[in-house]
Amino acid sequence: MHTIESEDLQPIHPEPTSFWLKYVFSRDHKVIAKQFLWAGLLFLFVGGTLAMMIRWQWAFPGKPVPVLGSVLLRDQGGAIGPATYMTVFTMHGLIMIFFAITPILIGAFGNYCIPLMIGARDMAFPTLNLLSFWTFVISLVLVICSFFGQLGAAGAGWTTYPPLSTNIGTPGSGQTFMVAAIFVTGVSTIMGGINYVTTVIRHRAPGMTYMRMPLTVWGLWLTAVLNVLFVPVLGSAALLLFLDRVFGTQFFIAGAAAVRGGGDPILFQHLFWIFGHPEVYILILPAWGIVGDILSFFSRKPANWYRGSVYAMCVVTILSAVVYGHHMFMTGMNPLLGQGFMLLTLIISVPAEILFLNWLRTMWQGSIRLHPPMLFAIGMVFVFGLGGLTGLYLGATATDIYLHDTMFVVGHFHLTMAAASFMGSLAAIYFWFPKMFGRRMSEPLGKIHFWWSAVFITLVFTGQLISGYAGQNRRLYNPYEYTFLKHLLPLNRWTSYSAFILMAGQLVFVWNFIHSLVAGARAEMNPWQVGTLEWSIASPPPHHNYDVIPTVLRGPHELADPLVREKLGRDWIGQDEPLLEQTPGTSAPAAAAGRG
Amino acid sequence: MTAGVASILRYRAPRSRSDATAWLGMILFLGSWTMLFAALFAAYGVLRLRSPQWPPPDVPRLPILLPGANTLAMVASSVALQRALRFARRGRLPAVLPAISAAFVLGWIFLAGQVALWFNLWRAGLRPDGGPFPSVFYGLTVFHGLHVLVGLFGLGWLVTRAAKASFGPTRHVGLRLWCGYWHFVGVIWVLLYFTLFVL
Repeated sequence: MHTIESEDLQPIHPEPTSFWLKYVFSRDHKVIAKQFLWAGLLFLFVGGTLAMMIRWQWAFPGKPVPVLGSVLLRDQGGAIGPATYMTVFTMHGLIMIFFAITPILIGAFGNYCIPLMIGARDMAFPTLNLLSFWTFVISLVLVICSFFGQLGAAGAGWTTYPPLSTNIGTPGSGQTFMVAAIFVTGVSTIMGGINYVTTVIRHRAPGMTYMRMPLTVWGLWLTAVLNVLFVPVLGSAALLLFLDRVFGTQFFIAGAAAVRGGGDPILFQHLFWIFGHPEVYILILPAWGIVGDILSFFSRKPANWYRGSVYAMCVVTILSAVVYGHHMFMTGMNPLLGQGFMLLTLIISVPAEILFLNWLRTMWQGSIRLHPPMLFAIGMVFVFGLGGLTGLYLGATATDIYLHDTMFVVGHFHLTMAAASFMGSLAAIYFWFPKMFGRRMSEPLGKIHFWWSAVFITLVFTGQLISGYAGQNRRLYNPYEYTFLKHLLPLNRWTSYSAFILMAGQLVFVWNFIHSLVAGARAEMNPWQVGTLEWSIASPPPHHNYDVIPTVLRGPHELADPLVREKLGRDWIGQDEPLLEQTPGTSAPAAAAGRG
Repeated sequence: MTAGVASILRYRAPRSRSDATAWLGMILFLGSWTMLFAALFAAYGVLRLRSPQWPPPDVPRLPILLPGANTLAMVASSVALQRALRFARRGRLPAVLPAISAAFVLGWIFLAGQVALWFNLWRAGLRPDGGPFPSVFYGLTVFHGLHVLVGLFGLGWLVTRAAKASFGPTRHVGLRLWCGYWHFVGVIWVLLYFTLFVL
């Protein structure tokens, strides 16, 4: 594609001047990204508060919750009753996955990074992007409705398994609202996914070949592909469950309530996990990509075996579609089928190891600069390593039968989906904050936030691993009613203290974020001294991003190139910056050949 | 007509880049929705395979003729819309509006037929809460019917556009996108007809 053609495809549109079109119903990907970020951070706080209530119950079962109890649980004397407890852990899971991590990693950074990093003026379908956000808002309204639902919020667990999630197990409108919210947020995610996939295919700047795209864009793009293909399967499950709840159909109802044989509860599990396993990679692939880039930028070295990382991410994307059965080893599945799923699951560790070794080799002998984004990226590598290794125990049928449905599972998926995604999101926030808001965040506060979070997030989730290994089932209202779990009270109490301290530590981030937004030092164009395209324009970028669509000459991690140091006197070079005597776009191959 | 004129008539203007982008978006959307319907059909298959008798002996039999006529209406509507696209591409602009209108009317005939079908079966005593068979029947056909309704809004918009003569050999991207959607809805219906009513 030539420059003139891409200018033709993406003409500069004037910036809207009215408040509503500029800040509320905006079609600008940067504004929509910030809207997703605010919504996601708000619901991250809600989900975190719910987590604190769960941890309180496990540390002090049946005791009145301080502060929150007197506000939220007045009718239960401030304590969390068994029914409320069900709604608390259900809403915690659903909110964190669909309404916190998804909007932050995919909604905010997908929207923000994809067009800027591939040199586009906006998404391929700006109006669809607008609709995607406002559909998401509708789903948020449904979530809020669920909290005020008759008989309380949704309470069938985040996996929403029938028959517990049907009217027989969980009557009341709270669960129905939540099932509807999942469907609607799925529609929003699919709209976003279609937009991201199309944008990357069609709107890359001239010279931005697939193998010159930043790893961040690769991660987000593969996530979008998975979203487009597998979120609709969740949509079908949510739709059928919604019909069962509202119109009395019998897709998932079995047993005494069934009419004419009834439906099949296990069918829901199949539909759910056909989506659910890709979903865990949907949540981690963007973080992998972001971390891959940030480790390279702050080690001042090109990413080790860039293509290997790209291929590994592609292989994981494909394999993620064929391993879902490992969530269902205990459903009476044929053992031979279980072994097949086990084999495929364990094969995923090969590309995951490639990525992992690439991250370590990227840092090896680098001039590492421990800015907050780098710290969080390293933290992500660490917690993801723990989460990945504990995943092996659950992927293998022999150990899974013992560990199934224990806190070990909870610890494992929190280390990967919660801790690793959390670290990845924060690395991204600290890294792109100057570009998004034109101001710098405080470095000392960022470092305090990192060490505080890293230490206590590890303690919380390893505490869960240990209690699960000791046999504590997940979701128990009061585990200490069982004699064999009584001795776990001190362990769980210490884990809860870690969780409370972790939550308190986030105040440092909230203060840093808001204070920097208002009074942070002005950020220059390229504060981190890196070469990807978004750092070659003003912070924050103008409405149309690029005055002239850049012509890309090289890959994203051209750091520490001796030729560049000789010619320009610095260790980095922009992706579109001509190095030799040439005009952009005329002899790009010569430049590529020049760096060998 | 000489060969030269014929070759001009068969000439297709190259697609603009933004049209190709829009079409790619439509393909992705339809791919996504294929997964949605594939999952629904899979659910239907599982329920059907695990039930001892399908349909159960004590529920009203599904008719074949009315939905069969509906299938014909749906297919005819799809063909008419494809013809409209072809006319627009080849520059036979006066023929575009009648073709789109025909597709629009046939679409409404299909939906009216579906409503009649649901009405008849409801009166015969087939209710959604009567077990897996009516669940599948109402769930899948009504969900499909909603997609037809969305398509009819699109076709209505196309009719107003065609009435203003806004389509031409290089200006038909909206027509092309709705054409893709309409064929998709039609194919889903044909699959539903054969698996639900005939088999």
